[in-house]
Formats: sequence, structure tokens, C-alpha cells
Amino acid sequence: MFVYEKKLQYPVRIKNPNPALAKFIVSQYGGADGELGASMRYLSQRFSMPYPELKGLLTDIGTEELGHLEMVGSILHQLTREMSDNEIKKSGFDTYFVDHTAGVYPTAASGFPWSAAAIGVKGDVIADLNEDMAAEQKARVTYDNILRLSDDPDVNDVIKYLREREIVHYQRFGEGLRLALDKLDEKNVYAMNPSFP
Amino acid sequence: MDNSPNNDFLFGALPAIAPLASAYVPMQPGVEPRYEPQSAIGRGTLFPGLDLPFRGMVNKPLPQTPLGELMAIDFVADELSLYLDTHKDDREAFELYQNVLALSKEAHEKYAEQCGPICKKDMLGMKAYRWLNDPWPWEVKERGED
Repeated sequence: MFVYEKKLQYPVRIKNPNPALAKFIVSQYGGADGELGASMRYLSQRFSMPYPELKGLLTDIGTEELGHLEMVGSILHQLTREMSDNEIKKSGFDTYFVDHTAGVYPTAASGFPWSAAAIGVKGDVIADLNEDMAAEQKARVTYDNILRLSDDPDVNDVIKYLREREIVHYQRFGEGLRLALDKLDEKNVYAMNPSFP
Repeated sequence: MDNSPNNDFLFGALPAIAPLASAYVPMQPGVEPRYEPQSAIGRGTLFPGLDLPFRGMVNKPLPQTPLGELMAIDFVADELSLYLDTHKDDREAFELYQNVLALSKEAHEKYAEQCGPICKKDMLGMKAYRWLNDPWPWEVKERGED
């Protein structure tokens, strides 16, 4: 069960609308390594996790990712407010605008709509935690790339925060994998893996 | 990154011997050192050892508004909870978590009373259904502002 808190995890206050930035930041909403995929990946993987530490970790990080999805959606909403027809055309936001107006839609910047094909749920503790660590690094790189492309201090403030969260999550997933390996037979973690009975 | 000799907090222990074909990340050794709440949320982590910014770009501490204070303390609670998920027997961290939960409760109640409900349960005892009041979190304007 989920309960909504009517606040963001970190403030999003974008002073200047800028649809040109929204055009690529949308990838962290609905792209392959975005926050929607992150939350769906972790909140789905947790059902087959064998240990309480991992059930807890995937639940908690998956929930935090939903909060990040809300933050990225807030950035997109604020960047695309009060756009003039001319700004829409000039910024290159026109291809998104024609389909979604200023609505927030989960898609990659390259135009591919959000797909579960970009996430993995293997039902195996080792495979899933390795996927999660890779996913955090991929999201971190996407945020690095956004920081290279964006010169808006209000946007970059939030992006820096979200990027750092990926690093913390990477550490926690690594520790989770470590706990899992310690509980498996050290001589043969694959043969003793409780994920395949 | 701090490259001085006193940067032990950037490191953690690995097993002396480990099975082949397994990925290992060092365990974070403890909750020291750590940032103050307003700085922690600005940096995106409570722990200097995990604070690895892109091209050295870092944020300032959050402003001391009622919402800023609530976000900062709730952030520390979330961050500690993730740490405890993988360090459940760390007594120092759990005691810290207790203190942070108490501060979070206090900040939550204060904010809800001043600016309106954060959760539906905050409306117990309120005189009207304030859940719908603008602004919502994704809007530029912050609650409690004119």
C-alpha cells in the first residue's frame, strides 16, 4: 500500500521556462534509464528477493524512485509552462508538443515511449542486484549528460541532487549483493542460490 | 574529492578472500562522518564518503524555510533508513535514526499545522478539507508563500 506525501523529496523551482531543456530531460522521466523504469524495476524485483534486507532495500529505493519520478515530472511541467507558439517552434519542442501539448508523458528524448523492455526482472538475486547496480550507473551517466547540456542553474540544482542519489543507491545495492553473497555458500554461490530451487 | 591523508571515510573493507565470479562493493564502515541535515540534502547524501559530484559541482544547503527544514530532516531519515537496510545491527546508526524520526515528526506536525496537510491523516481535527488547496508540489509556488 502506498500513501502520498504532498511534498517533493527535494525542491523544484524553475524560474525560467525553457522547452529546449524539457526536450532532453524527459528521458529521465520515461527513457530507458529513467525514474519510471527504476521504480518499476525495483518494486517488481522485490517480490522474488530471498532475504529481508533485500526486500526492504528494493522497497525503499523503489519508493524513493517514485519520488524522483515526481521531481523530474515537476521539472518538465515547470520548463514548459506559458510557452508561446514561436518558442515551441524555435526550441525544437514542436515534435513533442504536437503529440502531448504541455502534458508530461513518459518517453525517451529520442521519441521512443517508455517500455518495460528496458528493465529487467530475472527473479534471481545475483542477476537482479547486478542489473540494479548497472541501472544506477546508467542513470548517473544520463544525469552527467544533462549537466553537460543544461546551463539553467535551477534545473542543474535538482539534477545534481538526483545524480548523487544514484551513487548512494549503487553503494546500497552493492552492499545488498554483498549480504546475499555472504549468505550463500561461499564455495559455490551459484549452486546454492535460493532463487532457483 | 578530498585526497588528504585523513580521508579514510572514502574507503571500506573488502573480504580477504572471496569467491571468483562475484562482484564486491566495500561495505560502508559507519555513519561517521556525516553532514548536517540542511547540507546533506543539498549534497544529495548524508555521507561525505559517498559524495562524488560531477566536475566538482555541488549545491548549497537548503534555505531554512518550514518546508526546507522538513525536507532536510525527512531526507536524513530516508538516507539513514537505506543505510540501516544493509546495516541493521549498527546500534549507533539506529540511535541516530530514532533522534531523526523524533525531529521529523515534530517538523511534520509543525508544517501541517501552518501550511496544510502533507498526508491525509494530518487532517484529523482540521476544520475543513484542506487536501485540495493549491499549490501542489509540482507547481512553482511553494505552500506557505503569498
